[in-house]
Amino acid sequence: MNVLRAWIEERLGLRAVAAFLEKKEVPRHKHTIFYYTGSSILFFLGIQIVTGVLLAFYYQPTLAEANASVARIVTEMPLGWLLRSVHSWSATFMIAIVFVHLLGIAFTKAYRKPREATWITGVLLLAASLAFGFTGYLLPWDELSLAATKVGTNLPKAIPVVGAWLTGVMRAGEDVTGDTLSRFFIFHVSVLPLAVIALLGVHLFLVQRHGMSVPLEEERKGAKGPVIPFWPNFAYREAGVWLILLGLLVTIAVFAAPGLGPQADLMAPAPEGIKPEWYFLFLFQTLKLFPARILGLNGEIVAVLIMMAGMGLFAFLPFIDNRPAERKGKVIAGLVWAGLAYAMGMSIWSLL
Amino acid sequence: MKLLYSLFSRRAFLNSLIGGWLAALGAAFISPLLKYIVPPTREPDQVSVPLAEVQDLAAGSVQGFAWGNKPGLLKKAEDGSFIAFVGVCTHLDCNVSFVAEKRRFYCACHEGWYDENGINVAGPPPAPLRRLAVSVEGDALIVKKQG
Repeated sequence: MNVLRAWIEERLGLRAVAAFLEKKEVPRHKHTIFYYTGSSILFFLGIQIVTGVLLAFYYQPTLAEANASVARIVTEMPLGWLLRSVHSWSATFMIAIVFVHLLGIAFTKAYRKPREATWITGVLLLAASLAFGFTGYLLPWDELSLAATKVGTNLPKAIPVVGAWLTGVMRAGEDVTGDTLSRFFIFHVSVLPLAVIALLGVHLFLVQRHGMSVPLEEERKGAKGPVIPFWPNFAYREAGVWLILLGLLVTIAVFAAPGLGPQADLMAPAPEGIKPEWYFLFLFQTLKLFPARILGLNGEIVAVLIMMAGMGLFAFLPFIDNRPAERKGKVIAGLVWAGLAYAMGMSIWSLL
Repeated sequence: MKLLYSLFSRRAFLNSLIGGWLAALGAAFISPLLKYIVPPTREPDQVSVPLAEVQDLAAGSVQGFAWGNKPGLLKKAEDGSFIAFVGVCTHLDCNVSFVAEKRRFYCACHEGWYDENGINVAGPPPAPLRRLAVSVEGDALIVKKQG
Protein backbone atom coordinates (compact mmCIF):
# COMPACT_ATOMS: atom_id res chain seq x y z
CA MET A 1 0.00 0.00 0.00
CA ASN A 2 2.75 2.40 1.00
CA VAL A 3 4.68 1.49 -2.10
CA LEU A 4 1.67 2.35 -4.24
CA ARG A 5 1.17 5.62 -2.37
CA ALA A 6 4.82 6.54 -2.86
CA TRP A 7 4.59 5.65 -6.55
CA ILE A 8 1.58 7.95 -7.03
CA GLU A 9 3.14 10.72 -4.95
CA GLU A 10 6.30 10.63 -7.04
CA ARG A 11 4.27 11.15 -10.18
CA LEU A 12 1.48 13.52 -9.11
CA GLY A 13 3.02 15.36 -6.16
CA LEU A 14 -0.31 15.68 -4.37
CA ARG A 15 1.42 16.12 -0.99
CA ALA A 16 1.25 19.91 -1.44
CA VAL A 17 -2.54 19.81 -1.83
CA ALA A 18 -2.96 17.54 1.20
CA ALA A 19 -0.68 19.78 3.25
CA PHE A 20 -2.78 22.80 2.25
CA LEU A 21 -6.01 21.11 3.31
CA GLU A 22 -4.47 20.00 6.62
CA LYS A 23 -3.52 23.57 7.42
CA LYS A 24 -6.76 25.15 6.14
CA GLU A 25 -8.84 26.80 8.85
CA VAL A 26 -12.45 27.97 8.91
CA PRO A 27 -13.11 31.07 11.03
CA ARG A 28 -15.71 30.63 13.74
CA HIS A 29 -18.21 33.43 14.43
CA LYS A 30 -21.96 33.97 14.37
CA HIS A 31 -22.10 33.89 10.54
CA THR A 32 -20.13 30.66 10.18
CA ILE A 33 -23.27 28.93 8.92
CA PHE A 34 -22.86 30.69 5.56
CA TYR A 35 -19.63 28.77 4.99
CA TYR A 36 -21.69 25.62 4.58
CA THR A 37 -23.66 26.99 1.61
CA GLY A 38 -20.83 26.70 -0.93
CA SER A 39 -20.26 23.00 -0.47
CA SER A 40 -24.02 22.35 -0.38
CA ILE A 41 -24.27 23.95 -3.82
CA LEU A 42 -21.51 21.64 -5.04
CA PHE A 43 -23.37 18.71 -3.55
CA PHE A 44 -26.55 19.53 -5.47
CA LEU A 45 -24.53 20.22 -8.61
CA GLY A 46 -23.14 16.69 -8.31
CA ILE A 47 -26.67 15.29 -8.00
CA GLN A 48 -27.71 17.32 -11.05
CA ILE A 49 -24.86 15.92 -13.12
CA VAL A 50 -25.58 12.30 -12.18
CA THR A 51 -29.38 12.47 -12.57
CA GLY A 52 -29.03 14.66 -15.69
CA VAL A 53 -26.79 12.14 -17.44
CA LEU A 54 -29.23 9.35 -16.56
CA LEU A 55 -32.23 11.31 -17.86
CA ALA A 56 -30.37 12.07 -21.09
CA PHE A 57 -30.05 8.32 -21.74
CA TYR A 58 -33.74 8.25 -22.72
CA TYR A 59 -34.72 11.85 -23.38
CA GLN A 60 -35.13 12.85 -27.04
CA PRO A 61 -34.87 16.57 -27.84
CA THR A 62 -37.18 16.72 -30.85
CA LEU A 63 -40.56 18.28 -31.54
CA ALA A 64 -42.25 14.93 -31.99
CA GLU A 65 -40.55 12.96 -29.23
CA ALA A 66 -39.63 15.31 -26.38
CA ASN A 67 -42.90 15.23 -24.44
CA ALA A 68 -43.47 11.53 -25.11
CA SER A 69 -39.93 10.60 -24.10
CA VAL A 70 -40.34 12.38 -20.75
CA ALA A 71 -43.63 10.54 -20.27
CA ARG A 72 -41.80 7.30 -21.06
CA ILE A 73 -39.03 8.06 -18.56
CA VAL A 74 -41.51 8.63 -15.74
CA THR A 75 -43.93 5.82 -16.57
CA GLU A 76 -41.83 2.99 -18.02
CA MET A 77 -38.23 3.34 -16.90
CA PRO A 78 -37.47 1.71 -13.54
CA LEU A 79 -37.37 4.56 -10.97
CA GLY A 80 -37.47 7.06 -13.82
CA TRP A 81 -40.13 9.09 -12.03
CA LEU A 82 -37.82 9.42 -9.02
CA LEU A 83 -34.83 10.46 -11.12
CA ARG A 84 -36.81 13.17 -12.86
CA SER A 85 -38.29 14.35 -9.58
CA VAL A 86 -34.89 14.45 -7.89
CA HIS A 87 -33.41 16.33 -10.86
CA SER A 88 -36.22 18.88 -10.74
CA TRP A 89 -36.19 19.32 -6.95
CA SER A 90 -32.43 19.32 -6.72
CA ALA A 91 -32.44 22.24 -9.19
CA THR A 92 -34.79 24.11 -6.89
CA PHE A 93 -32.68 23.29 -3.81
CA MET A 94 -29.51 24.27 -5.59
CA ILE A 95 -30.81 27.62 -6.76
CA ALA A 96 -32.32 28.33 -3.33
CA ILE A 97 -28.94 27.72 -1.69
CA VAL A 98 -27.21 29.74 -4.40
CA PHE A 99 -29.40 32.66 -3.30
CA VAL A 100 -28.60 32.06 0.38
CA HIS A 101 -24.88 31.87 -0.49
CA LEU A 102 -25.18 35.11 -2.42
CA LEU A 103 -27.13 36.94 0.28
CA GLY A 104 -24.72 35.75 2.96
CA ILE A 105 -21.86 37.20 0.93
CA ALA A 106 -23.74 40.42 0.16
CA PHE A 107 -24.69 41.10 3.78
CA THR A 108 -21.34 40.20 5.31
CA LYS A 109 -19.71 42.13 2.45
CA ALA A 110 -17.40 39.23 1.76
CA TYR A 111 -16.85 40.64 -1.75
CA ARG A 112 -14.61 43.45 -0.55
CA LYS A 113 -11.01 43.74 -1.65
CA PRO A 114 -9.25 41.49 -2.65
CA ARG A 115 -12.22 39.21 -3.46
CA GLU A 116 -13.82 41.19 -6.32
CA ALA A 117 -12.93 38.55 -8.92
CA THR A 118 -14.43 35.83 -6.74
CA TRP A 119 -17.69 37.82 -6.64
CA ILE A 120 -17.74 38.33 -10.40
CA THR A 121 -17.16 34.65 -11.15
CA GLY A 122 -19.92 33.98 -8.60
CA VAL A 123 -22.34 36.29 -10.41
CA LEU A 124 -21.50 34.51 -13.68
CA LEU A 125 -22.14 31.15 -11.99
CA LEU A 126 -25.49 32.49 -10.77
CA ALA A 127 -26.33 33.51 -14.34
CA ALA A 128 -25.33 30.03 -15.54
CA SER A 129 -27.50 28.39 -12.84
CA LEU A 130 -30.51 30.47 -13.89
CA ALA A 131 -29.78 29.64 -17.53
CA PHE A 132 -29.73 25.95 -16.58
CA GLY A 133 -33.15 26.40 -14.99
CA PHE A 134 -34.52 28.33 -17.93
CA THR A 135 -33.31 25.91 -20.60
CA GLY A 136 -34.30 22.86 -18.55
CA TYR A 137 -37.83 24.19 -18.10
CA LEU A 138 -38.52 23.90 -21.85
CA LEU A 139 -37.25 20.34 -22.28
CA PRO A 140 -40.47 18.48 -21.23
CA TRP A 141 -42.08 20.45 -24.10
CA ASP A 142 -45.50 20.94 -22.55
CA GLU A 143 -47.91 23.86 -22.95
CA LEU A 144 -46.66 25.84 -19.97
CA SER A 145 -43.01 25.45 -20.77
CA LEU A 146 -43.56 26.57 -24.37
CA ALA A 147 -45.40 29.75 -23.33
CA ALA A 148 -42.80 30.55 -20.64
CA THR A 149 -40.00 30.10 -23.17
CA LYS A 150 -41.70 32.36 -25.70
CA VAL A 151 -41.93 35.12 -23.12
CA GLY A 152 -38.42 34.59 -21.77
CA THR A 153 -36.74 34.56 -25.17
CA ASN A 154 -38.71 37.58 -26.32
CA LEU A 155 -37.40 39.78 -23.51
CA PRO A 156 -33.88 40.33 -24.91
CA LYS A 157 -35.48 41.85 -28.04
CA ALA A 158 -35.94 45.04 -26.05
CA ILE A 159 -32.17 45.43 -25.59
CA PRO A 160 -30.87 48.09 -27.98
CA VAL A 161 -28.64 47.08 -30.93
CA VAL A 162 -27.98 43.39 -30.15
CA GLY A 163 -31.43 42.47 -28.79
CA ALA A 164 -33.03 41.01 -31.91
CA TRP A 165 -29.87 39.03 -32.68
CA LEU A 166 -29.79 37.62 -29.14
CA THR A 167 -33.39 36.48 -29.42
CA GLY A 168 -32.50 34.85 -32.76
CA VAL A 169 -29.58 33.02 -31.12
CA MET A 170 -31.75 31.77 -28.27
CA ARG A 171 -34.65 30.70 -30.48
CA ALA A 172 -32.70 29.52 -33.50
CA GLY A 173 -34.58 31.98 -35.69
CA GLU A 174 -37.40 34.40 -35.21
CA ASP A 175 -39.85 32.00 -33.59
CA VAL A 176 -39.80 29.27 -30.99
CA THR A 177 -39.75 25.99 -32.98
CA GLY A 178 -38.28 22.50 -32.82
CA ASP A 179 -34.87 24.06 -33.47
CA THR A 180 -35.27 26.02 -30.24
CA LEU A 181 -35.81 22.77 -28.39
CA SER A 182 -32.62 21.15 -29.78
CA ARG A 183 -30.73 24.33 -29.01
CA PHE A 184 -31.97 24.53 -25.43
CA PHE A 185 -31.04 20.88 -24.97
CA ILE A 186 -27.49 21.37 -26.21
CA PHE A 187 -27.11 24.48 -24.05
CA HIS A 188 -28.45 22.56 -21.06
CA VAL A 189 -26.25 19.49 -21.45
CA SER A 190 -23.13 20.83 -23.12
CA VAL A 191 -22.53 24.58 -23.35
CA LEU A 192 -23.60 25.49 -19.82
CA PRO A 193 -21.85 22.54 -18.13
CA LEU A 194 -18.56 23.47 -19.84
CA ALA A 195 -18.98 27.09 -18.81
CA VAL A 196 -19.81 26.11 -15.23
CA ILE A 197 -16.79 23.82 -14.94
CA ALA A 198 -14.48 26.59 -16.12
CA LEU A 199 -16.04 29.27 -13.91
CA LEU A 200 -16.24 26.98 -10.92
CA GLY A 201 -12.56 26.12 -11.27
CA VAL A 202 -11.60 29.79 -11.11
CA HIS A 203 -14.12 30.50 -8.32
CA LEU A 204 -12.87 27.66 -6.09
CA PHE A 205 -9.24 28.46 -6.80
CA LEU A 206 -9.81 32.07 -5.74
CA VAL A 207 -11.64 31.02 -2.58
CA GLN A 208 -8.65 28.86 -1.57
CA ARG A 209 -6.14 31.52 -2.54
CA HIS A 210 -7.77 34.24 -0.43
CA GLY A 211 -9.01 31.98 2.37
CA MET A 212 -12.42 32.34 3.98
CA SER A 213 -13.58 35.93 4.30
CA VAL A 214 -14.40 37.17 7.79
CA PRO A 215 -17.29 39.65 8.29
CA LEU A 216 -16.30 43.29 8.84
CA GLU A 217 -17.44 43.38 12.46
CA GLU A 218 -15.30 40.35 13.32
CA GLU A 219 -12.35 41.76 11.44
CA ARG A 220 -12.60 45.01 13.44
CA LYS A 221 -12.26 43.16 16.72
CA GLY A 222 -8.64 42.79 15.70
CA ALA A 223 -6.70 39.70 16.81
CA LYS A 224 -7.48 36.47 14.97
CA GLY A 225 -10.72 34.95 16.27
CA PRO A 226 -11.42 31.30 17.00
CA VAL A 227 -11.14 28.84 14.08
CA ILE A 228 -12.20 25.30 13.24
CA PRO A 229 -9.67 23.10 11.40
CA PHE A 230 -11.06 22.36 7.93
CA TRP A 231 -9.88 18.76 8.07
CA PRO A 232 -11.45 16.80 9.60
CA ASN A 233 -13.68 18.94 11.86
CA PHE A 234 -15.36 21.21 9.32
CA ALA A 235 -15.46 18.58 6.57
CA TYR A 236 -17.35 16.21 8.89
CA ARG A 237 -19.89 18.88 9.73
CA GLU A 238 -20.36 19.57 6.02
CA ALA A 239 -20.91 15.88 5.42
CA GLY A 240 -23.64 15.98 8.09
CA VAL A 241 -25.30 18.93 6.35
CA TRP A 242 -25.17 17.04 3.05
CA LEU A 243 -26.85 14.02 4.57
CA ILE A 244 -29.68 16.12 5.99
CA LEU A 245 -30.13 17.90 2.65
CA LEU A 246 -30.13 14.58 0.78
CA GLY A 247 -32.81 13.24 3.11
CA LEU A 248 -34.95 16.34 2.59
CA LEU A 249 -34.43 16.23 -1.17
CA VAL A 250 -35.38 12.60 -1.63
CA THR A 251 -38.38 12.89 0.72
CA ILE A 252 -39.79 15.86 -1.15
CA ALA A 253 -38.98 14.26 -4.51
CA VAL A 254 -40.91 11.14 -3.57
CA PHE A 255 -43.98 12.95 -2.31
CA ALA A 256 -44.13 15.83 -4.79
CA ALA A 257 -43.03 14.61 -8.20
CA PRO A 258 -43.44 17.25 -10.92
CA GLY A 259 -46.30 16.76 -13.39
CA LEU A 260 -46.13 16.71 -17.16
CA GLY A 261 -48.57 18.85 -19.16
CA PRO A 262 -50.01 18.03 -22.58
CA GLN A 263 -47.55 18.23 -25.47
CA ALA A 264 -46.87 21.79 -26.60
CA ASP A 265 -48.62 22.92 -29.78
CA LEU A 266 -46.96 25.82 -31.60
CA MET A 267 -50.35 26.93 -32.98
CA ALA A 268 -52.42 26.74 -29.79
CA PRO A 269 -53.25 29.81 -27.69
CA ALA A 270 -51.19 30.26 -24.54
CA PRO A 271 -52.75 28.32 -21.65
CA GLU A 272 -54.16 30.07 -18.59
CA GLY A 273 -51.98 30.51 -15.56
CA ILE A 274 -48.57 30.37 -17.18
CA LYS A 275 -45.88 30.73 -14.61
CA PRO A 276 -42.12 30.55 -14.80
CA GLU A 277 -39.97 28.77 -12.23
CA TRP A 278 -40.20 30.36 -8.78
CA TYR A 279 -36.90 32.20 -9.10
CA PHE A 280 -38.20 34.17 -12.07
CA LEU A 281 -41.56 35.03 -10.49
CA PHE A 282 -40.58 38.53 -9.39
CA LEU A 283 -39.51 39.40 -12.95
CA PHE A 284 -42.74 37.87 -14.28
CA GLN A 285 -44.87 39.94 -11.89
CA THR A 286 -42.91 43.11 -12.71
CA LEU A 287 -43.56 42.59 -16.43
CA LYS A 288 -47.25 42.02 -15.80
CA LEU A 289 -47.56 45.30 -13.91
CA PHE A 290 -45.59 47.45 -16.32
CA PRO A 291 -47.93 49.58 -18.44
CA ALA A 292 -47.70 49.45 -22.25
CA ARG A 293 -46.31 52.96 -22.48
CA ILE A 294 -44.26 55.02 -20.05
CA LEU A 295 -43.48 58.67 -20.88
CA GLY A 296 -44.04 57.85 -24.55
CA LEU A 297 -41.66 54.89 -24.45
CA ASN A 298 -42.48 51.22 -24.90
CA GLY A 299 -43.12 49.89 -21.38
CA GLU A 300 -41.45 46.55 -22.06
CA ILE A 301 -38.23 48.22 -23.21
CA VAL A 302 -38.23 50.40 -20.08
CA ALA A 303 -38.76 47.33 -17.87
CA VAL A 304 -35.98 45.34 -19.56
CA LEU A 305 -33.55 48.26 -19.42
CA ILE A 306 -34.26 48.78 -15.70
CA MET A 307 -33.70 45.06 -15.06
CA MET A 308 -30.44 45.11 -17.00
CA ALA A 309 -29.21 48.17 -15.15
CA GLY A 310 -30.03 46.42 -11.86
CA MET A 311 -28.14 43.30 -12.89
CA GLY A 312 -25.15 45.37 -14.05
CA LEU A 313 -24.98 47.27 -10.75
CA PHE A 314 -25.26 43.97 -8.91
CA ALA A 315 -22.43 42.35 -10.87
CA PHE A 316 -20.11 45.26 -10.06
CA LEU A 317 -21.19 45.62 -6.44
CA PRO A 318 -17.63 45.21 -5.03
CA PHE A 319 -16.49 48.22 -7.07
CA ILE A 320 -19.50 50.34 -6.15
CA ASP A 321 -19.33 49.41 -2.47
CA ASN A 322 -15.65 50.30 -2.20
CA ARG A 323 -15.89 51.80 1.29
CA PRO A 324 -17.98 49.12 2.99
CA ALA A 325 -17.34 50.24 6.58
CA GLU A 326 -18.46 53.81 6.00
CA ARG A 327 -21.82 55.46 5.50
CA LYS A 328 -21.91 54.68 1.80
CA GLY A 329 -21.52 51.00 2.66
CA LYS A 330 -24.50 51.15 5.02
CA VAL A 331 -26.68 52.81 2.39
CA ILE A 332 -25.74 50.08 -0.08
CA ALA A 333 -26.55 47.38 2.49
CA GLY A 334 -29.96 49.05 2.90
CA LEU A 335 -30.48 48.98 -0.88
CA VAL A 336 -29.62 45.27 -1.01
CA TRP A 337 -32.23 44.63 1.71
CA ALA A 338 -34.74 46.71 -0.27
CA GLY A 339 -33.98 44.69 -3.41
CA LEU A 340 -34.51 41.46 -1.51
CA ALA A 341 -37.80 42.73 -0.05
CA TYR A 342 -38.93 43.75 -3.55
CA ALA A 343 -38.10 40.35 -5.06
CA MET A 344 -39.85 38.48 -2.25
CA GLY A 345 -42.88 40.77 -2.23
CA MET A 346 -43.34 40.50 -6.00
CA SER A 347 -42.92 36.72 -5.92
CA ILE A 348 -45.57 36.33 -3.23
CA TRP A 349 -47.90 38.72 -5.06
CA SER A 350 -47.62 36.70 -8.26
CA LEU A 351 -48.78 33.59 -6.37
CA LEU A 352 -51.92 35.26 -4.93
CA MET B 1 20.49 60.93 -30.60
CA LYS B 2 21.42 57.32 -30.75
CA LEU B 3 19.83 55.04 -28.17
CA LEU B 4 22.23 52.67 -26.52
CA TYR B 5 19.67 49.94 -26.29
CA SER B 6 16.20 49.30 -27.65
CA LEU B 7 13.18 50.45 -25.62
CA PHE B 8 11.30 47.50 -26.99
CA SER B 9 12.83 44.11 -26.31
CA ARG B 10 12.84 41.41 -28.96
CA ARG B 11 10.71 39.24 -26.69
CA ALA B 12 8.07 41.95 -26.16
CA PHE B 13 7.95 42.54 -29.92
CA LEU B 14 7.45 38.85 -30.71
CA ASN B 15 4.83 38.51 -27.95
CA SER B 16 2.70 41.30 -29.33
CA LEU B 17 3.20 40.05 -32.87
CA ILE B 18 1.96 36.57 -32.06
CA GLY B 19 -0.81 38.02 -29.87
CA GLY B 20 -1.97 40.18 -32.75
CA TRP B 21 -1.90 37.25 -35.15
CA LEU B 22 -3.91 35.06 -32.82
CA ALA B 23 -6.48 37.81 -32.29
CA ALA B 24 -6.85 38.32 -36.05
CA LEU B 25 -7.13 34.58 -36.64
CA GLY B 26 -9.76 34.30 -33.90
CA ALA B 27 -11.77 37.16 -35.35
CA ALA B 28 -11.62 35.54 -38.80
CA PHE B 29 -13.08 32.34 -37.41
CA ILE B 30 -15.68 33.95 -35.18
CA SER B 31 -17.57 35.91 -37.81
CA PRO B 32 -18.65 32.91 -39.94
CA LEU B 33 -19.52 31.02 -36.75
CA LEU B 34 -21.74 33.87 -35.60
CA LYS B 35 -23.47 33.79 -38.96
CA TYR B 36 -24.16 30.10 -38.62
CA ILE B 37 -25.79 30.47 -35.20
CA VAL B 38 -28.95 32.20 -36.40
CA PRO B 39 -30.72 30.36 -39.23
CA PRO B 40 -32.64 32.34 -41.84
CA THR B 41 -36.31 32.67 -41.01
CA ARG B 42 -38.84 32.03 -43.68
CA GLU B 43 -42.03 33.89 -43.08
CA PRO B 44 -44.44 32.78 -45.79
CA ASP B 45 -45.15 35.31 -48.54
CA GLN B 46 -48.68 34.02 -48.74
CA VAL B 47 -50.86 31.25 -47.43
CA SER B 48 -53.93 29.87 -49.12
CA VAL B 49 -56.95 28.69 -47.17
CA PRO B 50 -59.62 26.73 -49.09
CA LEU B 51 -62.84 28.78 -49.15
CA ALA B 52 -64.83 25.64 -48.31
CA GLU B 53 -63.17 25.53 -44.89
CA VAL B 54 -64.34 28.97 -43.86
CA GLN B 55 -67.56 29.49 -45.77
CA ASP B 56 -69.78 28.22 -42.99
CA LEU B 57 -68.12 30.41 -40.40
CA ALA B 58 -70.71 32.55 -38.56
CA ALA B 59 -70.28 36.32 -38.82
CA GLY B 60 -68.16 37.62 -35.96
CA SER B 61 -66.45 34.31 -35.28
CA VAL B 62 -62.82 33.33 -35.73
CA GLN B 63 -60.95 30.40 -37.19
CA GLY B 64 -57.28 29.58 -36.99
CA PHE B 65 -54.87 28.76 -39.81
CA ALA B 66 -51.13 28.20 -40.01
CA TRP B 67 -49.14 31.32 -40.88
CA GLY B 68 -45.77 29.59 -41.26
CA ASN B 69 -44.67 28.65 -37.75
CA LYS B 70 -47.19 30.96 -36.15
CA PRO B 71 -50.91 30.76 -35.67
CA GLY B 72 -52.96 32.97 -37.96
CA LEU B 73 -56.50 34.04 -37.08
CA LEU B 74 -59.19 34.54 -39.69
CA LYS B 75 -62.23 36.53 -38.64
CA LYS B 76 -65.45 36.83 -40.58
CA ALA B 77 -66.83 40.37 -40.39
CA GLU B 78 -70.55 41.20 -40.24
CA ASP B 79 -70.63 41.95 -43.98
CA GLY B 80 -69.21 38.50 -44.80
CA SER B 81 -65.70 39.71 -45.65
CA PHE B 82 -62.62 38.30 -43.93
CA ILE B 83 -59.88 39.93 -41.96
CA ALA B 84 -56.74 38.13 -40.82
CA PHE B 85 -54.26 38.61 -38.01
CA VAL B 86 -51.04 36.98 -36.87
CA GLY B 87 -52.33 35.46 -33.63
CA VAL B 88 -49.30 36.43 -31.61
CA CYS B 89 -49.40 38.93 -28.77
CA THR B 90 -47.40 42.10 -29.45
CA HIS B 91 -46.28 42.20 -25.83
CA LEU B 92 -44.11 39.10 -25.38
CA ASP B 93 -45.02 36.77 -28.25
CA CYS B 94 -47.55 34.41 -26.63
CA ASN B 95 -50.29 33.01 -28.85
CA VAL B 96 -53.63 34.75 -28.34
CA SER B 97 -57.11 33.27 -28.41
CA PHE B 98 -60.49 34.72 -29.43
CA VAL B 99 -62.99 34.97 -26.60
CA ALA B 100 -66.26 34.82 -28.51
CA GLU B 101 -68.61 35.98 -25.74
CA LYS B 102 -66.55 39.14 -25.15
CA ARG B 103 -65.73 39.57 -28.85
CA ARG B 104 -62.15 40.19 -27.90
CA PHE B 105 -58.74 38.57 -28.38
CA TYR B 106 -57.05 37.53 -25.18
CA CYS B 107 -53.46 36.72 -24.23
CA ALA B 108 -53.27 34.54 -21.14
CA CYS B 109 -49.59 35.14 -20.45
CA HIS B 110 -49.90 38.65 -19.01
CA GLU B 111 -53.64 39.27 -19.40
CA GLY B 112 -53.54 41.39 -22.54
CA TRP B 113 -56.76 42.21 -24.43
CA TYR B 114 -57.43 43.28 -28.01
CA ASP B 115 -60.82 44.25 -29.42
CA GLU B 116 -62.36 42.33 -32.31
CA ASN B 117 -60.42 44.45 -34.78
CA GLY B 118 -57.14 43.53 -33.13
CA ILE B 119 -56.67 46.90 -31.42
CA ASN B 120 -54.92 46.59 -28.05
CA VAL B 121 -57.40 47.78 -25.42
CA ALA B 122 -56.22 46.52 -22.04
CA GLY B 123 -53.20 45.07 -20.28
CA PRO B 124 -49.58 45.32 -21.34
CA PRO B 125 -49.73 44.93 -25.18
CA PRO B 126 -48.04 47.97 -26.74
CA ALA B 127 -49.47 47.63 -30.28
CA PRO B 128 -52.41 46.14 -32.21
CA LEU B 129 -52.25 42.55 -33.49
CA ARG B 130 -50.41 42.39 -36.80
CA ARG B 131 -52.89 42.47 -39.72
CA LEU B 132 -52.55 40.37 -42.83
CA ALA B 133 -54.15 41.13 -46.20
CA VAL B 134 -56.94 38.80 -47.37
CA SER B 135 -58.23 38.37 -50.90
CA VAL B 136 -60.44 35.80 -52.61
CA GLU B 137 -58.96 34.04 -55.62
CA GLY B 138 -61.07 31.29 -57.14
CA ASP B 139 -62.03 28.82 -54.44
CA ALA B 140 -59.38 29.94 -51.96
CA LEU B 141 -58.67 32.76 -49.58
CA ILE B 142 -55.20 34.14 -50.12
CA VAL B 143 -53.58 35.62 -47.03
CA LYS B 144 -50.57 37.82 -47.65
CA LYS B 145 -48.23 40.09 -45.77
CA GLN B 146 -49.74 43.53 -45.61
CA GLY B 147 -48.22 46.42 -47.52
